[in-house]
Amino acid sequence: MPQTWLLFPLLLAVAAPRGAQGSGLRHGGCPSGCRCEEDGARVRVDCSDLGLTALPANLSVRLAGNGLSHIHTGAFSGLEGLRVLMLQNNQLQQIPCEALQNLRNLQSFRLDANRIHSIPPGCFHSLVSLRHLWLDDNALTEVPIQALGELSSLQAVTLALNKICHIPDHAFATLSSLVVLHLHHNNIHSLGEKAFDGLWSLETLDLSYNNLVEFPVPIKALTNLKELGFHSNSIRSIPEKAFVGNPLLQMIFFYDNPIQIVGKSAFQHLPELRMLSLNGAAEVLEFPDLTGTKSLESLTITEARISSLPGSLCDQLPKLQALDLSYNLIQHLPSFSRCRTIQKIDLHHNAIQEVRAGTFQGLMELRALDLSWNRVQSVEPHAFADLPVLSKLDLSSNLLSSLPAAGLRGLTHLKLAGNDGLRELISAEDFPKLRVMEMPYAFQCCAFVGCERSQDPWYAEESEGHDLEDLLLELEEDFTSKQSVQCSPAPGPFRPCYHL
Amino acid sequence: EVPPSCTRGCELCSEYNGCLKCMPKLFILLERNDIRQIGVCLASCPVGYFGVRNPDMNKCNKCRIENCEDCFSRNFCTKCKEGLYSHKGRCYPSCPEGFSATNGTTECTS
Repeated sequence: MPQTWLLFPLLLAVAAPRGAQGSGLRHGGCPSGCRCEEDGARVRVDCSDLGLTALPANLSVRLAGNGLSHIHTGAFSGLEGLRVLMLQNNQLQQIPCEALQNLRNLQSFRLDANRIHSIPPGCFHSLVSLRHLWLDDNALTEVPIQALGELSSLQAVTLALNKICHIPDHAFATLSSLVVLHLHHNNIHSLGEKAFDGLWSLETLDLSYNNLVEFPVPIKALTNLKELGFHSNSIRSIPEKAFVGNPLLQMIFFYDNPIQIVGKSAFQHLPELRMLSLNGAAEVLEFPDLTGTKSLESLTITEARISSLPGSLCDQLPKLQALDLSYNLIQHLPSFSRCRTIQKIDLHHNAIQEVRAGTFQGLMELRALDLSWNRVQSVEPHAFADLPVLSKLDLSSNLLSSLPAAGLRGLTHLKLAGNDGLRELISAEDFPKLRVMEMPYAFQCCAFVGCERSQDPWYAEESEGHDLEDLLLELEEDFTSKQSVQCSPAPGPFRPCYHL
Repeated sequence: EVPPSCTRGCELCSEYNGCLKCMPKLFILLERNDIRQIGVCLASCPVGYFGVRNPDMNKCNKCRIENCEDCFSRNFCTKCKEGLYSHKGRCYPSCPEGFSATNGTTECTS
């Protein structure tokens, strides 16, 4: 069996050391079974007498975190079996194209955190097996189209944290196997109309933290896209049928854009979309048409100017779990009773005037309902009668004068502050599980926090006739059951309960 | 108890939590030590973690893809566990329909 010496003639020009490992050479683990010895600038990898029938499967060279600014042409000669090459965190201004010529089995190539400003055509010519390429945190000013174009097996590439400002047509046209493309943290302000043509397999595209002013229309070519990020740009509108070419989208991240206008049909026909969040689109006047987007679980549209909701809302969103339409102009509510899986509804800061019996009827999963800061004057008697797990109800800052208790025995949190016309007593028997209460008036807390005896001196003489032991027992009982309720405004010397 | 010394490459060191901020281009990895997290600075993240670069901080994130040993990103696996097949950055007990593993590899192609 011939001896397999893997000479590793690393005659490398080492710039001033930087980073964690400082000077000297630090490279990866020894292939399993082999013996590695450092010999000055050389590394002797002795894999002899191991019965190998092929080169070690996961042969990798890890030269991360050195100060390499140049790599000799023959640096990796003899390493045709190399699978992983890690050159990140060095000082390379150019890719050592000549040194790559025989690396036909290379699958993962890390060049991130260097100073690479361009990549010549043909540089990656022989990297026919390359799957994963890291070029992030370099100084590229444009997409290395021709160099990348030769990587027909490429599945994941990051060009993030560079200085790319435009993606031309056909920039990735030959990368039909590409699944992940990261372009975040560049200066991209424009996209060619056919910029993403050819990316048949792309599932994740990240365009976040760029200077895009227009919606990235070229994404329509990405029929297999599942996750799209374009948050933190300067996009002002999302057009009609914006994602018509991306029926498999599961996640879209577009927050931190000054979006004002959204086409009514923009989010139609996205059967895999789980979450949709839109905040501050001040020129959105209508609730979007979500036909065909039937898997939505969380919908947030706040600070728009929606004034009404379609009766078909729950038919379009049968799997909805959380709905947040706060800070809109909604006056009347449709029935939510066919939103059978809904758990949380936020409608605060709207213009809702009444709550009818059928509005929230039969919502077996509804736990939290926030209708604060509206104009609710009336709540029909059985409006909350059929909500078995409702535990949090916030009706504060409305125009209520009474509250029907039917169905609210399970409440732990009840907020009614700011309803100045609501002066009736709230009976403790109707709310056995209450823990947190915010009431319009202090005396309404008396039934819950036992303020008559323990705090108010006016009652001092009345308790003298009681046997001391009975009194202590009574106090203890009062103390344990009522002390666990936090009720505000708490009654006190200046807000006595005596006038009950 | 001797506070952990910060690894080289640390820009902001804390007595109890190791490194809080690494030098540019390095990744910070938060290692658990009992109830504490200790910051360590690395040029590349260990196996089972992937690096996420950002202008203000580079961080090692745990790879949470099912049956995956090493990740390129949150949703793309570069190395599946022994005996599993990889397809488009995911790991499978066998190749999806219409795909098969080529000549002895564990990668599914059409």
